Amino acid sequence: MRRSFALAGTAVTALALLVGCSSGGDAGSGKTTLKVAALEGGYGRDMYTQVIKAYEASHPDVDVQLQISKSIEDEITPNMKAGKYPDVVVLGQGRKAALTETLVKDKALEDLTPVLGTKVPGEDGTVGDKLTQGVIGNLNTNPYGTDKTYLLPMYYAPTGLFYNQGLFEKNGWKVPSTWDEMFELGDKAKKQGIALFTYPTAGYLDSYFYALLADVGGEQFYNDVMTYKKDVWKTANAKKALDLTTKLLSYASESTVGYANEQDFTKNQQSILDNKALFMPNGTWITGEMADAPRADGFTWGLTTLPAATDGGKRYLTTSVESVWMPSAARNKDAAKDFIAYLYSDEAAEIFAKSNAIQPVEGIANSLTGESAEFYKLYEDSSVSALVGGFASTAPVQGVDIKATLFDTANSIISGDTTESAWQSALNDASEKLRQAGN
Amino acid sequence: MLACLLPALVLFAVFMVYPTVNVFRMSFYTWSGFSPDMTFVGLDNFRHLIDDKQFVRAFQNTVALLVVVTVVTMGMGLFLAAIMTRQKLRGRNFLRFVLYVPNVLSVVVIAAVFSAVYDQNNGLLNGTLRLLSLDGWQQVWLGNQKIVLYSVGIAMVWQSLGYYMVLYMSSMSSIPEELYEAAGLDGASNARQFFSITMPLIWQNLRTSLTFFIMSAVNLSFVLVRAMTGGGPDSSSEVLLSYMYKQAYTNSSYGYGMAIGVVIFVFSFLVSLLVSRATRREPLQF
Repeated sequence: MRRSFALAGTAVTALALLVGCSSGGDAGSGKTTLKVAALEGGYGRDMYTQVIKAYEASHPDVDVQLQISKSIEDEITPNMKAGKYPDVVVLGQGRKAALTETLVKDKALEDLTPVLGTKVPGEDGTVGDKLTQGVIGNLNTNPYGTDKTYLLPMYYAPTGLFYNQGLFEKNGWKVPSTWDEMFELGDKAKKQGIALFTYPTAGYLDSYFYALLADVGGEQFYNDVMTYKKDVWKTANAKKALDLTTKLLSYASESTVGYANEQDFTKNQQSILDNKALFMPNGTWITGEMADAPRADGFTWGLTTLPAATDGGKRYLTTSVESVWMPSAARNKDAAKDFIAYLYSDEAAEIFAKSNAIQPVEGIANSLTGESAEFYKLYEDSSVSALVGGFASTAPVQGVDIKATLFDTANSIISGDTTESAWQSALNDASEKLRQAGN
Repeated sequence: MLACLLPALVLFAVFMVYPTVNVFRMSFYTWSGFSPDMTFVGLDNFRHLIDDKQFVRAFQNTVALLVVVTVVTMGMGLFLAAIMTRQKLRGRNFLRFVLYVPNVLSVVVIAAVFSAVYDQNNGLLNGTLRLLSLDGWQQVWLGNQKIVLYSVGIAMVWQSLGYYMVLYMSSMSSIPEELYEAAGLDGASNARQFFSITMPLIWQNLRTSLTFFIMSAVNLSFVLVRAMTGGGPDSSSEVLLSYMYKQAYTNSSYGYGMAIGVVIFVFSFLVSLLVSRATRREPLQF
């Protein structure tokens, strides 16, 4: 009997310890515990610890617990499924795990429209006043096409065609401004054994396709495609976009498809550094990602928009935006909103910018130097417009992934395993199914 | 007796029975995996599967991989085990060690090794073919949609072969030597001895390992495909489990993913049953 009591006592103690460990609260301290989850991207993790330290210094009643990882989705998802949600998440769309997209589809995000009218802690202006014009009110920030903002743009970066400026200077080549010039350059380069185009994986074609669609048919057509307008992929504009892409893919380097996977994608990126290919779609993070890679003599990163679809036509620059959002199940909503507002303060922006994490805050791009400054200068060209957003969110449709249909098929076009008309037809089918699903 | 079994039964029920039943239950709903909104749709998810070309392709790929990899691994495993057991090979133990090593490597390491072997420009495979002046045989091993699945299959064989070879060697080495001596005196060739003595006497072992291998190959194909090709190019190396993962976790169609899980469960069960029935024989003993 005595032994049974001892065992029961041990079990109760162990359970109590477990419960104590799992609660993770600090109820006794009187502080609000704010759980922040962030993706550790190309900008590193130090900037977050510095920003949190600065915030805690001015908010002694708040304890910010940071969870940061290169695969943050894998770490927070099990807890979220168990009902333990972070209060603030810094994670964009377009990631493989698609956590942000899933919560958007579930309508499980907190409406952050009030944050736009909130004063930035320690400053006079509101968050909305500080944000660069045009970064709010698109399908990326307002995924349901309403005036409600659920995802606030945290960092922005131009994406487009990256190339070696040194190679162009050496050969006296001009960066093409029309598609005709592009293909002429492709023929010239081919004679030197250089391919016109490559991509790391087909998924990187988001940096290419969104801009192309807007270049070809304007913003209205782009929005029609993104919101699945009926038979939009059967239109002349869609055909033109696919014609141009099919032709461009015929100039792709031979090794592109074989290396376009998770293991080998840097070998495709390396082909730009080795002068084996001229252009690849990518984002500004490429400079950091390939910083230690060997490169051809005189190599300098260059970034350009896609060639204009018509002579003198407007050119769009797909802008990658990483977002900050709150799950609607977050526990400390008021404190979280205040923290988010602080992320747009001059103090925080300065810390972020030191790690090249550029926020869409008025005037910040002017403070940039070096390579980054050159990339962001593209926005100053009056014929270039920033393009933010992507496909509108719908209710999930079994077996339909329009981004995979649009991007991944490029592999089959290059290898000749499918045709442009089959591609167009598959896109129209997928778009129609998503249109019918609605949101 | 029941008291002894109880902990195991509870664990089995909690970690095996309940999740499996839950997979079946979830396959009747549309659900993203997060929201509390679950809509009962009956067999709708299964109806979608029939029209889903990607699913059909993933199913075909899985069946092709299972057939080819099983035949090659089992065939080579038996062949090598017979040679190593019956022949006096120099360096036999070293060879056994070399063939067994891949089995203890992480699948991610295997994916990295084969990524280097298959590299279209600097890879071992194309390099060897160049050296042998067989340039026409060079391939884009992970980029050619017609062969990428078999490239993954070769990695699977490499990973599994040693384990099954050692398993068969252990069975074969327990067969009494007198049986082979008697057969030799009667003029039976090595091949005849293999099919008339070795195979019948290790048959029960072969049956069990065959079922076990087929089940583990379904899992291994998923991990290798995820690490080596991501299912690409353009879904050409997608297998059932990788497609299930994509639908459940990246297409926000958790219920649909679970329907694919049910298909995998039923398929695996039927294959096991089929293999068990097809290989049933009166056990022979020595």
